[in-house]
Amino acid sequence: MQRITRREFVKRTAVTSAAFTSLPAILAACGTSTGTSNKPSKLVIAAVKGNEDAPLKKVVGKYKSETGITMEVVEFPYDQLFEKLVTTFQANGSSYDLCMMDDPWMPKFGTMGALQPLDSNFGFTRDSDIPTVVYDVGTWPPPHGPVPPTEQGKTQHLYGITIVGNVEMFMYRKDKSDAPKSWDDVLSNAAKYNAANFYGYVIRGKATNPVSSDSLPILWSFGGNIFDDNWKVQLDTPASIDAVTFLTRSLKKYAEPGAENTDAADRSRLMAIGQAYQSTVWPGEITDIVEDPSVSQVKGKVAYIPIPQGKSGKGLGMMGNWLLGIPKGSKNGSAAADFIKWMLKTDNMRNYVANGGIPIRKSILNDSSLASANPYFQALAQSFDAVPNWRPRTDQWNAVETSYGTAMNAAVAGQMSPQAAMQKAAGEIRTTMKAANYPS
Amino acid sequence: MSRLVAEIPAPTGTEPVRAGRRRRGRQERLAYMILLPALGTVFVIVTIPFVIAVFQSISSDDGTLIGLSNYGRALSNPLLYEALRATGFYALIVLPTEILLGLAFALLVHRTVRRPGLRATLYVLAVLPLVVPPVAVGVVARLIYAPGYGVLNYLLQSAGITHSEIQWLGVPILAMGSVATVDIWQWTPFVYLVLFAGLQTVPRESVEAAQVDGATWWTQFIYIELHYLWPLFLLILFFRTADVLRVFDHVFILTGGGPGTTTQLLSLYMYRIEFKFFDAGQAAALAVLVLVSISILYALVTRALPLERA
Amino acid sequence: MRRRRRRSAAVWARVALITVGLAVAGLLYAFPLYWLVVTSLKSKAELYTSITLFPRSLTLESYGNVLIDSGFWMLLRNSVIVCLSTVIVTIAVGLVITYPLTRLPVPPRLRVGVLNWALSLRFLPPIAVVIPYFAIVRTLQIYDQPIALIGIYSLFNLPFAIWMLKGFLAEIPLEVEEVALVDGANRWTAFLRVLLPLAAPGIMAAGIIVFTFAWSEFLFALILTATPNAQTFPVGVQGLVTQFAIIWNQMAAAGVIAMSVPLVLMVVARKYMVAGLTFGVIREK
Repeated sequence: MQRITRREFVKRTAVTSAAFTSLPAILAACGTSTGTSNKPSKLVIAAVKGNEDAPLKKVVGKYKSETGITMEVVEFPYDQLFEKLVTTFQANGSSYDLCMMDDPWMPKFGTMGALQPLDSNFGFTRDSDIPTVVYDVGTWPPPHGPVPPTEQGKTQHLYGITIVGNVEMFMYRKDKSDAPKSWDDVLSNAAKYNAANFYGYVIRGKATNPVSSDSLPILWSFGGNIFDDNWKVQLDTPASIDAVTFLTRSLKKYAEPGAENTDAADRSRLMAIGQAYQSTVWPGEITDIVEDPSVSQVKGKVAYIPIPQGKSGKGLGMMGNWLLGIPKGSKNGSAAADFIKWMLKTDNMRNYVANGGIPIRKSILNDSSLASANPYFQALAQSFDAVPNWRPRTDQWNAVETSYGTAMNAAVAGQMSPQAAMQKAAGEIRTTMKAANYPS
Repeated sequence: MSRLVAEIPAPTGTEPVRAGRRRRGRQERLAYMILLPALGTVFVIVTIPFVIAVFQSISSDDGTLIGLSNYGRALSNPLLYEALRATGFYALIVLPTEILLGLAFALLVHRTVRRPGLRATLYVLAVLPLVVPPVAVGVVARLIYAPGYGVLNYLLQSAGITHSEIQWLGVPILAMGSVATVDIWQWTPFVYLVLFAGLQTVPRESVEAAQVDGATWWTQFIYIELHYLWPLFLLILFFRTADVLRVFDHVFILTGGGPGTTTQLLSLYMYRIEFKFFDAGQAAALAVLVLVSISILYALVTRALPLERA
Repeated sequence: MRRRRRRSAAVWARVALITVGLAVAGLLYAFPLYWLVVTSLKSKAELYTSITLFPRSLTLESYGNVLIDSGFWMLLRNSVIVCLSTVIVTIAVGLVITYPLTRLPVPPRLRVGVLNWALSLRFLPPIAVVIPYFAIVRTLQIYDQPIALIGIYSLFNLPFAIWMLKGFLAEIPLEVEEVALVDGANRWTAFLRVLLPLAAPGIMAAGIIVFTFAWSEFLFALILTATPNAQTFPVGVQGLVTQFAIIWNQMAAAGVIAMSVPLVLMVVARKYMVAGLTFGVIREK
């Protein structure tokens, strides 16, 4: 065997380890997609996993057969989708061509400048068959209500189009009673129908977003609020504390055990297996669970109405629209915009509804031929007409919701009194807003 | 190969001493030529994140230097202390439980199980939980503790022990307990394996001598075996403390830090600052603080470890 | 006679106590695993009834849902790519570092220093590292690329590899290589033809254990990936714990898949597992 020098040995060691270390790069390269072209063969959508994106996944096959473009739907649980989108935008990644966004995220993405404007770049205009509020919610800076200090003076653009026309509503067992007109009726019905293994009211009390969504319509209907028009925190006002006391003390008496850990899936499951009388509800839970004969024992026994009136004399629903937007990092902007336009076409939206989608076109919501299959359409149309509230339009919303939703959760769990919880949340939110240079 | 070994000529005396020393020097140089580039690269790769963290921690999002204000915010956040308390509490539950249970099993098996086949089976069974991904363990735990579909409540109620659902993940103390049981399930076998191996090193003669002298189960443990196990306790404590500081996966899946912030351990807290509040400055300050304090801790405890070094 | 009987009663009591204790421990140990597997075999309809300890019918539908409908086979593929690459890098770099430490005369202080330093890396909390590492990933534009994971996994597994390989290499007598050197081979061939085959079982074991560690990793994968382009399997598992849908059977099925790979590998490398976890203090003879 030929003898080699020590230097040669070092060199070979180096070469070998270099070869080894570069191997993963080669392996990894096999996994990555190839470069971009004008006509992409594939568009990637970041979506929220659940019944919000299930209909979307069902219709993309049709899009592929019409255009040849594969739509890859990448799913995340709710909280993580937001974190993932912000992280991806920060990394300026081109991972996503389209993203599904919950409407309270608009401010963060608008402030970051993370999205491509749909109106000026891709020629989107308002359609009179679609409620104005749907366009407003996708516009940044917000067309009405308080505008964050950093955003004042920016030109308004449309950044997102709703594909899930969610508005928070109310459901109750119509086989047992008439519709509650006010939250007082809700409470008295809860007391009346509460029984062993049948809960008078279901609180979706899981920390952060779930309990925040569940409680805000009550907070608003009682005249409470998170901010006033000048970004002053209102959570520790008597009206707000009153609303929180109503939910976490009065209604809690008739609520399911473990309300502090109940999320939407648990709530609609309780309703579906006939163990609950009433609760708030998102349209997405209805067709997929409560009215799905394969899992529900109460199909046809539940009615859907707009949020009942509170002490303020109003019943305020909450917007929870899911929008489609196009990230700045996407290299396939116009192809992505074509897909959104395709989704909005009346025929395609009907097909989307047939697959369980929640429409935004008034003509579809008011189509009586669809009403029996979709018992909530009328209530949803009414909710849109009444112009539901939206969550505060600030890029600090995620932090605000975390503070509010954590304190609410503690109040639901009985760890804190409503007053102490709201004072804690208000204090934290004031600190957050002050650090972000909002007027205090 | 063994034949080759047997043919080795005795190295001493066949070579002049001076030549040997020169050869040694050449070999040492060779060692450095291989080591230094590799170590240097790894060292740089390890150090870069730390340097970046330090830089991020003293600058704002747009890169301007702002001094130590991020550290001020990090240290004045009451949630940090809640997280530290939760982490300490978690450690106080899991470490003693795992060590005591692991010790009990190790002694029991060591004293009562003689068949090698059974010992081997127990060994495999003990290794098993250690390799289950924590994410999967988190899923199992959800299936057990979750409200509504958790099987534990079902079992308790069918057995007539309880009559209403217990909120394992909703009541603060129970949530912490639930999260801790997952850790105990997964890591007690580790303690068992280490201590069991330690018990095998106890010389049979001293045990037999003690038994002749009338040592009981207990005195045999206290006066003989404990002596051999002592360094291993330190080792277990060392590795498990490192693990507790990095616990993330199963808590993230099981409670996400809730209810409230009860189970928000240090890792989850830092995750929340960086990826929920997107406060990169404060998160970087926390990262630097944690890295520095752990280095100090490491330097203090590492000397006591029974690791072979030279 | 009487005394003996009493004594045997005490023995019986002790045996009974131990048996009960072991039975309880065995149940606590095994039930979670049983429940995971059983849940994964339930149909969707069964989830909406009250809980059944023994499923009424067994079906593999959830596995199909997870792997094919949800497209998780892509994540499995990523996991395999990332883990294999991590093993290769870690073992290669580990050998480059441990070879001189064990086979060549180096000052003990250097040796101890390197080992100590490697051990200290074991103590780094991943979350503290991922925060700055994310900035690097952003700068290098490798976000959502497997290479980002391979890099950080290799780094975090290197201390372990160094300690394990050190143990295995040190066990092989220096003379073995020297004979080859005297026979005219150079260091490189001696390493390749003599040392490597002798150390192969140990290297294999170290590789398998690195593989299982990388396979289980979740935090980095969660943060550094965005699409099935780079997401690993644990990220997918976690994603099944969702807001609305009741898919516990799929959740369980994903859990079963996630744990089956390391379990199978462990059958091969079980002897070395404890050595790996204790950095070689505990070694199977």
